[in-house]
Amino acid sequence: MKRLLQFLFNYRLLALIKKEFNQIRRDRRLAISLILPPVVQLTLFGFALSANVTNIRLGVVDDSRSPESRELIATLTESKSFRLAGYYFSVNELGDAVSRGNVDAGVVVPYDYARDLARDRPTTVQFLLNAMNANTATISRAYAEGVIQSYNSGLRGKGINSRVQTVAGMDLARRGQVQLQPAFLYNPGLVDSWFIVTGVFGLLLILNSSLVSSAAMVREREAGTIEQLLMSPASTSEIIIAKITPLFILLCMMMLVAIAVLKLAFDVPFQGNILFLLLGGALCILSGISIGTVIATFSKSAQQAQLTSFFVNPPLSSLSGALNPVEAMPKWLQPVTVLNPIHHFATIVRGSTLKGSGFMDLWPNFLGLLIFTIILVSLSVWRFRKQLS
Amino acid sequence: MRRIVAQTRKELTQIVRDWRTLALALILPIVLLLLMSTAISLTVNDLPIVVQDFDDSSASHDFIDAMRASITLHVVSWPVNKTAEQALAANVARAVVMIPAHFGRDIARGINSPVQLLVDASDANTAKLISGYATQITTAYNRQTAGAAQAGPVQTAVRLWYNPGLSSKKFYGPGVFVLGISMFPPLLAALAMAKEGEHKTILQVYVSSISAHEFLLGKIIAFMAVALAECFVMCLLLFTYFGLRFAGDPTPFLIATILYAFCVASFGTMVGATIPNQAASMQAVALGGFLLVFLLSGLMFPIENIPAGLRWISNFIWGRYYIEIVRDALLQGGGWPAVWFKVLIVGVIGTTFYGIAWRGMRKMQVKA
Repeated sequence: MKRLLQFLFNYRLLALIKKEFNQIRRDRRLAISLILPPVVQLTLFGFALSANVTNIRLGVVDDSRSPESRELIATLTESKSFRLAGYYFSVNELGDAVSRGNVDAGVVVPYDYARDLARDRPTTVQFLLNAMNANTATISRAYAEGVIQSYNSGLRGKGINSRVQTVAGMDLARRGQVQLQPAFLYNPGLVDSWFIVTGVFGLLLILNSSLVSSAAMVREREAGTIEQLLMSPASTSEIIIAKITPLFILLCMMMLVAIAVLKLAFDVPFQGNILFLLLGGALCILSGISIGTVIATFSKSAQQAQLTSFFVNPPLSSLSGALNPVEAMPKWLQPVTVLNPIHHFATIVRGSTLKGSGFMDLWPNFLGLLIFTIILVSLSVWRFRKQLS
Repeated sequence: MRRIVAQTRKELTQIVRDWRTLALALILPIVLLLLMSTAISLTVNDLPIVVQDFDDSSASHDFIDAMRASITLHVVSWPVNKTAEQALAANVARAVVMIPAHFGRDIARGINSPVQLLVDASDANTAKLISGYATQITTAYNRQTAGAAQAGPVQTAVRLWYNPGLSSKKFYGPGVFVLGISMFPPLLAALAMAKEGEHKTILQVYVSSISAHEFLLGKIIAFMAVALAECFVMCLLLFTYFGLRFAGDPTPFLIATILYAFCVASFGTMVGATIPNQAASMQAVALGGFLLVFLLSGLMFPIENIPAGLRWISNFIWGRYYIEIVRDALLQGGGWPAVWFKVLIVGVIGTTFYGIAWRGMRKMQVKA
């Protein structure tokens, strides 16, 4: 223990760390790239990416032209989900409007609508949905069916005709209905941005850590000063620790800025223990730094390092479940997310902020993140050493 | 003309020489298309749910079987001595269905029985989908058990146009296709142009007999060729793996693709000419080509959802118009009447980029 402390706090190491800090302090671009991205990316992603489905433009073909059909259309359009975009005379005209993109959905009321209702015969209303976007189509279909269902239950209570039916329907063979009562836990207001920003938070930590660290690692090589470092009495592990420590501290500060943005700009609730968040974030930063270091050892200049990161970042970020649910990926790709530190971190963030999960729930993710960090750090140290010798 | 061709050949040779740039130009777009189109999709299948059956009657088993039979939900087991919330907190399930005691008795007596659905709403969109699916299943179950007499007087018949299988691959595939073309060709163009400034080889260009327009056009044609090659490769993938076809007249798509290739190549050249530093211009392209096109062009979510304070920016995002053209060509088939204006805008934005690049060239001369 004493030896370890001695090793960690000897003058050489402190001097090296001080040198790194000085270098970072002089590099204004680096300082900006630590403050700006968390604020800009979090707010941009949080506000711009919203899967909310409201104000679907609805085109109407009303062949019935009766008070009943107008009531149905009013019921549809008075909800926030649909907005009346126009009346059309024929189904063909409506179809043209859908294909030109003037309306997103259409409803066709048949000519015998009012007559059928009065005679208590079932009648069918047609909905046309532009289903290009499968997600929007699924949700708007659920809206449309929900509106019609509540319209139906309103209809049933009215008029002598239905009264008679209710009395007649009270036979013993009638079975009760299942009434599903959904309750939304953790996010009763269904705020979209919470899911996005908690995911982007993980992307931000890993991607920025790797970007900053690869730039810092490659700079020494680009300038040719790496030989001078090697000639000094410092050992390779000391050089590596001295390189990583200041970056780690700065990136941890960036994490705090990002947490502040989450809290202040998006009002994300912090239900659980914030220590989990910080611990997970620290592990995430370490693995990000290691990814950056490995990239740096494969490249000769900052530009090459950046180009190489184009090969690493897109798969890393798109297979993480940070912006969309993992279940939406194809079956054979889903297990791959277990190998992704961003996935584990996103689960930890969502668990400890929105859900208030405890350590008993989150330990598998911590374990996964820890294993990755250890593997990546040792890989980067090994690559760096190999390169130095 | 000969000088333009020579310049184009020189650029293409430079691209082929570095394996990184070559892979960036041809392999990465395919990887991106395969990964992103599945990874940003939001429609989910096979969501894990937990059922807590406090009734354990034949009626409740029937209801659970109805849930189990759908492809969107699958029931996972959960020990009875743990509460439902624990299943959600441990990420074992996305939702919990709780069937109360006396469920079967109530149903048989003709009394409506409530069933609770607890949804993990930390992902709001998925929560909405789950609640929609569960409601649909319940409605179908009610209709089946109660018979047609119970069904409401007004029925809905929903027709899904353009993508009847609700495959999100078909929606995101064209989007990511546009993202790939908006990102890699301008990146290479910006790097090549910034390199001329950084290494001061631009001076050699100035002393040679080539004019500014010839030089720029030569470069832009080279990167247009890269963009069109990418486009071709990715289209092959769209037509096979994604199962897309031209839904109507393909000419707007073809013309828009050539114009868009010009637009992105000019964008890259413009960035490289105005920021003669490779690392910085790469970041600028990453911002313009990736972030703006990814966020503000309706690639993932509808543009109408962006708050008005940011939404106006999307009117200037070149990728937005091209995405709409591609989706129209491959899914909707509206043809020229639907998209002629968008094709025009892509051309106008491209010409603007070219103009700025040309001005940037003149400034580079002063600086160098």
